Amino acid sequence: MAMNPLDASAVRDLVFDDEFLRKLERLELLARKIFRGLLRGEHTTSRRGRGLEFSDFRHYRTGDDFRHIDWNIYSRLDQLFLKLHASEEDVTLHLLVDTSASMGFGEPSKFVYARRLAAALAYIALHNLDRVGVSAFAEGLGAALPPIKARHHMARLLAYLRDLPCTGATRFGTALRTFATRTRNPGLVILISDLLGAVDRLDGIEALRHGGHDVVVIQLLAESEIDPPLDGALRLVDGETGDELDVTVDQELRRLYQRHLEGYLQEVERFCRQRGVEYLRASTAIAFEDVVLKYLRQGTHLR
Amino acid sequence: MIQLAYPLALLSLLAVPLILALHLLRPRRRTVVLSTTTLWQAALQDRERGIGFRRLLRNISLLLLLASALVLGLALGGPEWLTRASESADTVLVLDVSASMKTRSDGGKTRFDLALAEAEAIVDGLSREGRMLVMTSGRKAVLRTGFEANHEGLRRVLTQLRPGDEVGRPGEALALALSLLRNRENGRIYFLTDGAFDADVDPGSPKVVFRIVGAPARNVAITRFDFRQEVANDERFQVLMTVRNYTDAPVVAPASVSLDEGVLFKRSLELAAHAEQTLVLPFRGRARGKAVARIDVDDDLAADNQAFAAVNVVDPLRVLLFTRGNFFLESVLSALPNLDLVKRDWSPSEDIARLARIHDVVVFDGIAAPELPAGNFLLVNTVAPGLPFSDAGQVRRPGILGPGPSALMRDVDLSAVRIDQARRVVIDQPVQGLQRLFWSPETALALALLDENLKLVYLGFDLAQSNFPLQAAFPLFFSQSLEWLRPLGSSFAATHIAAGSTYTIQVPSIATQVIMRMPSGYAETRVVEGDSLLFDATTDAGIYRYNVGGVARYFAVSLNDTRESDVNTRWTPSERRVQIQPASSGAQALRPLWPYLLLLALVLLTLEWYVWTRSHGSV
Repeated sequence: MAMNPLDASAVRDLVFDDEFLRKLERLELLARKIFRGLLRGEHTTSRRGRGLEFSDFRHYRTGDDFRHIDWNIYSRLDQLFLKLHASEEDVTLHLLVDTSASMGFGEPSKFVYARRLAAALAYIALHNLDRVGVSAFAEGLGAALPPIKARHHMARLLAYLRDLPCTGATRFGTALRTFATRTRNPGLVILISDLLGAVDRLDGIEALRHGGHDVVVIQLLAESEIDPPLDGALRLVDGETGDELDVTVDQELRRLYQRHLEGYLQEVERFCRQRGVEYLRASTAIAFEDVVLKYLRQGTHLR
Repeated sequence: MIQLAYPLALLSLLAVPLILALHLLRPRRRTVVLSTTTLWQAALQDRERGIGFRRLLRNISLLLLLASALVLGLALGGPEWLTRASESADTVLVLDVSASMKTRSDGGKTRFDLALAEAEAIVDGLSREGRMLVMTSGRKAVLRTGFEANHEGLRRVLTQLRPGDEVGRPGEALALALSLLRNRENGRIYFLTDGAFDADVDPGSPKVVFRIVGAPARNVAITRFDFRQEVANDERFQVLMTVRNYTDAPVVAPASVSLDEGVLFKRSLELAAHAEQTLVLPFRGRARGKAVARIDVDDDLAADNQAFAAVNVVDPLRVLLFTRGNFFLESVLSALPNLDLVKRDWSPSEDIARLARIHDVVVFDGIAAPELPAGNFLLVNTVAPGLPFSDAGQVRRPGILGPGPSALMRDVDLSAVRIDQARRVVIDQPVQGLQRLFWSPETALALALLDENLKLVYLGFDLAQSNFPLQAAFPLFFSQSLEWLRPLGSSFAATHIAAGSTYTIQVPSIATQVIMRMPSGYAETRVVEGDSLLFDATTDAGIYRYNVGGVARYFAVSLNDTRESDVNTRWTPSERRVQIQPASSGAQALRPLWPYLLLLALVLLTLEWYVWTRSHGSV
């Protein structure tokens, strides 16, 4: 049985019970791509030649290691081919957590939900001997937790998550482009955000792809955003920008809002699928455990 | 010092708490902080684009507020409405009831039906205090009501009206209507007619509004119907009948004339378009009774397809005899047929003119006659002043010469007549119309005078001093003299008058009432005060029967008018034909409008509140 590495006093609101942690340990985090890992791990990488698992052949080029020449083929074809092996390396999991003010809405708030989700994913990764780094972003890229590998660093990670602020507007494009530029080792990026309020949100995702990352987008929405319990003459205040909007909410306007929301969500999903980005949507009304254990497993990165 | 023109206007301050209440009742906006308003903004824009009605409601709210402000501003200005007092808010409704209004028009209705519908519409359009006078225009203008504000009563009167068979004289009706509105500046006259009259009827007054009803129609009419006796022949008569075709096509009109249900003749008349044909048909025999002429055509106006005449209903000759007693004269006058004799021995000279009017012949026998007024007189052994001959003494045993060629002396044999003494008269000056009937070398013994207003027979001797009463010539002379003196037209009476005109019924002094029976069969009794009855209820064509003093007599009423029967030619006052609208009120008066404006402003504000609530939903 795995030891619970969490310090209850330090991560009061991020506490997982033992049963949930046991469930997490049974999960296995996978990456569809083979990344170049700094350390050998449980994942195959794109770096060929040093592993045991055959990957491919290619023509010999000057400077190649003679030990990898397939002499059997040479004897048959009288040509030099190199036998490639995929090496198994560890994967770096980058958790990008949206800390803009819009994440503070919902019951429970999307921010709390996002931190729990990040903690769970980090736990799974560490359990599988992968590296885990956490970055927060809002108007820009915030303080980051450098990649860690050992499970005993889990408390540190949770403390980092606990101390994240929830404020400011969202600048996806700026923040994620900065992240893509700074990160030397492409890996699996899991973006946890509501994707609301930023006009350049999709540009940021595109920047991550161009940075060589395997991107998973988890969009969190509060139930009050999916089905807003609003009615009558209201003055709506944007939580990020402070903009005010006088409206009279009636059934018809609610229907129009939901239509726009649905359109937006479909647009994001379509954008992701067209670019090979895995997209998951979750409502904060859904039990956290269900999201982790059921919904995320429907994707390709968790099994 | 500030004075309040309308202190009651301070009551409008009561609206302040109402406005405050409305303001407080308005739902307040609740502030809600959201993660983002982007989607809400898009939804809102979507709704504003797609739902014009809500935008309209919002604009209506603004417009209502602006209208409220405008109305309140106007109210503060103290506007007053210059209106008219009710006394001249008067309308005169003239309804044409002439025969042409019986013409069938669209949908089987008559022109009068259409006019009646227009009249009811005008009554409906009257203001509550508007007054109206209803009059009809036929041969005479008849006031049917006074100026009435009781609109229900006016409608009731209208339903009782109907057209007659009379000729229309709209000029008289319009003149009367204008005189009724003489002192009312803005009174209005509606003349509902079919326009079957001459253009000079239009008085040119802006008060008169013509409403022409009906459409052009087809008509064939009897425009003249009469009986006449041939000259110097009592047994030969002529029927005169004129039929006119007012249509644009030739017409075959079977025509007939009947007398007391016996058909005198039947003819088929072929009439070209707009042509007329006159028949003069002689017949021999007894011409007496009720005559009816008919044409059998299917046209739009039936009233002129028949005409009536009461033929040869001879009135008795009413003779007034002034005498102190004359056996022979009284005997012969009593013996003559169809003669009413009234005897007096004296009357004031100033009463003679009246008596001469109500009697056909006045006889002075041996009594000094006053200067003779207009009338028919028989002077026996007396001379009246003012005549072209005068008394010049006596002549004893004049030898009779003559008689002359006068019709009065026809078959009068004077050869055996002897006169002891006669009056000598001298003819002062020769006068045309003075004729000697018989004479002696010394003087004229009998004269006939036919003046403009005077017919006179003079017999210049005392009957008792001659053997003339014993001669056969005596009754013959008096019979022919009285026949000559009989008023024109009374000897052979084809008595008929135009519909709507007045018929004078001479009533003997012994009679006090006349029983009238109309063509419809309706009978009424009229009390007579005096010696005549003026009967004017003759709007319907037909034979009128009346009974006076136990004697039944007739007279006939017909249309017989070429202009009235011309229902196809119509005058249209196009330039002044206006829509029906109630007459404006009359005397000017100022009426404050601010109470109405204030009320309107409150209504607008309430409406705005409702619209605002509807457009902004509920909390």
